[in-house]
Amino acid sequence: MAYGVLCDGTRCIGCRACSVACKSWNKNPADIDKKTSVEGGIEGKSVVSDKTFTFMRFKEIGDGDDFKWAFAKIQCMHCLKPGCETACIVGALHRNKHTGAVSYDKGKCIGCRYCMVACPFGIPTYEWEERMPWIRKCTFCSDRLNEAENGMAPACVTACPTRALQFGERGELIEEAHKRIQASKDADPTGVGKYVDHVYGEEEVGGTAWMYISNVDMTELDLPWLSTEPVTKNARTAMSLLPYYATGMLALMAGIYFITKRKQKIAAGKHEEKKG
Amino acid sequence: MTNHWIDIRNADCVLIIGSNAAENHPICMKYVLQAQAKGAKVIHVDPRYSRTSARADMFIRIRTGTDIAFMGGMIYWILEDMRKNPGNYNLQYVQQYTNAAYIVNSGIKLPGDEGQNGLFSVWDSTNSRYDTATWKYADPANATAESKLLTDNWSGWTNRVADEESAWGELNNNCVLKLLWRNYRRYDKATVSKITGIPQEKLEAVYAEYAKTGATGQAGTIMYAMGATQHTYAVQNIRAYSIVQLLLGNMGVAGGGVNALRGTSNVQGSTDQALLEHILPGYLKMTTDVDAHQTLAGYVGNITPAQTNPPADLGGDNPVNWWKNTPKYVHSLLKAWWPSLDPAVSYNYLPKKKASGVNYTHMGLIQAIGEGKVEGLWIWGQNPAAGGPTSLGARDALKKLKWMVASDIWFNETHTFWKRPTTNGIEVNPEDIQTEVFLLPAAGSFEKEGSVSNSGRWVQWRYKAVEPPEEAIPDLDMMIRLFKRIRELYVKEGGAFPDPIVNLGWDYSDEEEADVIAREMNGYALVPGVPKSAGGTYEVGEMIDWFNDLQADGRTSSGNWLHCGQYTKASATDQQNYPELITVVKGIPSINKARKRGNVDTSPSQVGLYPNWSWCWPRNRRIIYNRAAVDLNGNPWDAEHPVLAWNGTTWVGDVVDGGGNPINLAAAGSQNLPFIMNSEGVGKLWGYGLKDGPIPEVYEPWESPISNLMTVQQNDPAAYIGKLVVDGTDWNRRGTVGDFPIIATTYRCTEHWQTGIMTRNLPWLAELMPEMYVEIGEDLANSPELMIKSGDRVKVTSARGSIEALAVVTKRFQAITVDGKITHQVGIPWHWGYAGRVTGDSGNVLTPHVGDANTSIPESKSFLCKVEKA
Repeated sequence: MAYGVLCDGTRCIGCRACSVACKSWNKNPADIDKKTSVEGGIEGKSVVSDKTFTFMRFKEIGDGDDFKWAFAKIQCMHCLKPGCETACIVGALHRNKHTGAVSYDKGKCIGCRYCMVACPFGIPTYEWEERMPWIRKCTFCSDRLNEAENGMAPACVTACPTRALQFGERGELIEEAHKRIQASKDADPTGVGKYVDHVYGEEEVGGTAWMYISNVDMTELDLPWLSTEPVTKNARTAMSLLPYYATGMLALMAGIYFITKRKQKIAAGKHEEKKG
Repeated sequence: MTNHWIDIRNADCVLIIGSNAAENHPICMKYVLQAQAKGAKVIHVDPRYSRTSARADMFIRIRTGTDIAFMGGMIYWILEDMRKNPGNYNLQYVQQYTNAAYIVNSGIKLPGDEGQNGLFSVWDSTNSRYDTATWKYADPANATAESKLLTDNWSGWTNRVADEESAWGELNNNCVLKLLWRNYRRYDKATVSKITGIPQEKLEAVYAEYAKTGATGQAGTIMYAMGATQHTYAVQNIRAYSIVQLLLGNMGVAGGGVNALRGTSNVQGSTDQALLEHILPGYLKMTTDVDAHQTLAGYVGNITPAQTNPPADLGGDNPVNWWKNTPKYVHSLLKAWWPSLDPAVSYNYLPKKKASGVNYTHMGLIQAIGEGKVEGLWIWGQNPAAGGPTSLGARDALKKLKWMVASDIWFNETHTFWKRPTTNGIEVNPEDIQTEVFLLPAAGSFEKEGSVSNSGRWVQWRYKAVEPPEEAIPDLDMMIRLFKRIRELYVKEGGAFPDPIVNLGWDYSDEEEADVIAREMNGYALVPGVPKSAGGTYEVGEMIDWFNDLQADGRTSSGNWLHCGQYTKASATDQQNYPELITVVKGIPSINKARKRGNVDTSPSQVGLYPNWSWCWPRNRRIIYNRAAVDLNGNPWDAEHPVLAWNGTTWVGDVVDGGGNPINLAAAGSQNLPFIMNSEGVGKLWGYGLKDGPIPEVYEPWESPISNLMTVQQNDPAAYIGKLVVDGTDWNRRGTVGDFPIIATTYRCTEHWQTGIMTRNLPWLAELMPEMYVEIGEDLANSPELMIKSGDRVKVTSARGSIEALAVVTKRFQAITVDGKITHQVGIPWHWGYAGRVTGDSGNVLTPHVGDANTSIPESKSFLCKVEKA
């Protein structure tokens, strides 16, 4: 029974209470000296960093009567089959099967940063300015998840004023997402509804705990287009072929040794014959 | 608000106009979205596409300052649709609960009448004000009516084929509904489109959509804020909303109302407690120097309204005229403040402001300071150097003060005006400024106990969460201690008139007296024998149950009649359900109901009244004018969302407004009309009590790119035009479109609050929006004269000064067509200043020192500027 969060872009007002709640809960410092960025027609730092686990992306999409200003909260997706976990050679990143949180243990980390390469969402960030740098990313408030049965949810979800973020059991959230999409279609005389009929994260890269529904396609909010194939599949494929490589290489090497040895033996024998 | 926050979810249509609710009142969007999820359409009318527009079903881009044209067009549309499709409207509501049929003075002239030139009758140009005699009813004591409107058979309602002229032509020329039609027929869609920049098809679509809420059982809510109020005709903007809501039967019902989104966090509380110059606590009129106010009896007689009896053919016959209880409130207020004296004596202690000739509002005060008329200024959590209009002039004015004492949690622009950085070529030399500034560190809102009143009039008690740092103390404690010292000095040294000071009731300890103040605001029975409306009498020292039991003879005290009923003897139910909230006051178990947190909605059909969550004024009535939510027999118009219903013996639901049986089931003389705070008991489509007109009329902002297209009267004739003169320079310069071709508006955003002192000092908020910015439409930014892109620095200039800011080039501003011309608007937040962790130029450097005709609220939302690369 793993948890998830459903982000509903049609309820989000871009208020960024989630950003502040995350900072507060994780006691992350602010990054005041940065300049304002103006992507999407609003201000604010639009990347995760060692000090910022989540941020709100703003995008102006379309024109005229079709114009939309869309918002998406960006953070670790807590994949069901995390690429970072597979890439990590020391097991510092690990998905908790009960909560679904992909957690980072800096006690094991060796700073190789393979996780940063492996993540399709570009989430793990590095403390470039520190002498002893660690990887940093959203924790899914795993400490709060231990109290989920008592009603605790990740800090961002708790702070959201419009319930654009909904926390719960992943399977139930998927059902809820499809229900909302269908209800919107049913209420619309044209049958289209206000949602794009897709639950982003339901199946992408094998499924993620954080999922999105919205009135715009999530790729317009710069979330990557991804197939359903998990990132781990590449690693699995490579790893599963390893025995064959190993055995095959062994057989090949043995064969070459045998042939070489045999050739040597025959050459030696001929030499012997010539002598005698 | 006439309604309250949670009630918004009951609406069938939500009209957000002059408000950016999602960004500035984000929590309320929970309820707006709940309404939307149930099928309600959300309409957002704004010059700029904002985070509210992103959630709206319909976004209407409007030229700032043209709400009256927009709403006037809606009024005309509704009147005509009501005539053609009467079945789509609640005609009974309009007939029985509004003054639609009332006949106005025969001398009334409307702005469009011949020879009026955009003015109502009669403008007195010598004294620059209206003589409003012709705005009253033909017979103010006993109103007469156009009887045809009070029948369902008026051919105007039923004959759909008749053209406008002949249908309306049947009615008395001076009855209210006819006057509305006569005025607003000039607001046809073509004209409104030219003025507002809204295409005619969009006008048709939005009018048709919102007017659907006129059907019986349907409700529409209007949510507004500073976009409606920061104009020279602000009150008329709100009047326009009220007229629409009355025509559509949306007042008093669940999901309806005219709902002001008050300033966070306690603007509602501040106006209730009269932190404004024109009122005393509970919205009593301030005492002035007119003859009538020389004595208590004269004052009370002057401000207590006489009732207007309804016409004979109206269903109800009793207007109730609740303000007739004014004497009770005034006497009780005086006893709260000077407990040992007869109110007739202590009345003489109240200051009497000049009735005319002096403007005591924010702008008037800054102007007086600039003229050297004010020696000392005590500012409590305020920042005029960045928060009020015309910042450069306001900052210059402050140097004339001998001393300034500020109670605040941070140093702000006002406290540090004397060492402010150079801007606009103005170099400030601290040696030249003689003002002595004291900063008293204040406790923040979580560091003290007390209450905050939300927009829904809910008085929610708050508790101290942490101790304030070091020497910081609550404002209340400061005031208590300060006054004690002042009184000591008066007792020791005497003075010109020590009596009001020396005799003031001020028996508080130095700390944590909020609960005691709450009791005083509620009020007590001071002597034996004070009768209870419920039967019996109060014990001496018992707190009064509700304001009707206050006495006009000094036997009771009440610091604010609105709060009377908040803190009372605890009922048996409350003692059982809220034992932890019971306090013993003068030997009587009592309860401060603002502390209640009953989170079960016990209202019928769960309309969200939550009567046990805190306490609201008046009398815990959650939706005011709720008698208008039922028909003459007491049956709710909307059976699914009833606010009230008559069950044969009593009312069920919300606290009924005005008491008594439903109109058809009451004895003659007690057939109570619903709008009890109006002296005529019905809702005022026509309102005669304001300074600039009985009904709204289109005027342009003080700085406008065009001439008024409706009449030759360019601006509101009664608008307040300030003169901010410091050392001979008047900072309130007026710009013209030739020099300043771009329309500017100012606003707030979620991430920052007011002048930014609280938020620019908090790292997690400062990092979300560190830099002052200006939002500029792509079309304007890409124009050959400008050629700017997002991230460039720009200079924005008005006639009052210039600022530099980051340019945010966006599609959310787009040019509009006004009177055939392409017109641009830009948006300027006002959260920045030179004090604090992250700094920037103040938006208010650009705004003019002019304000609303009735209230003097500054016209921050519409003025002219020019934009160039910095």
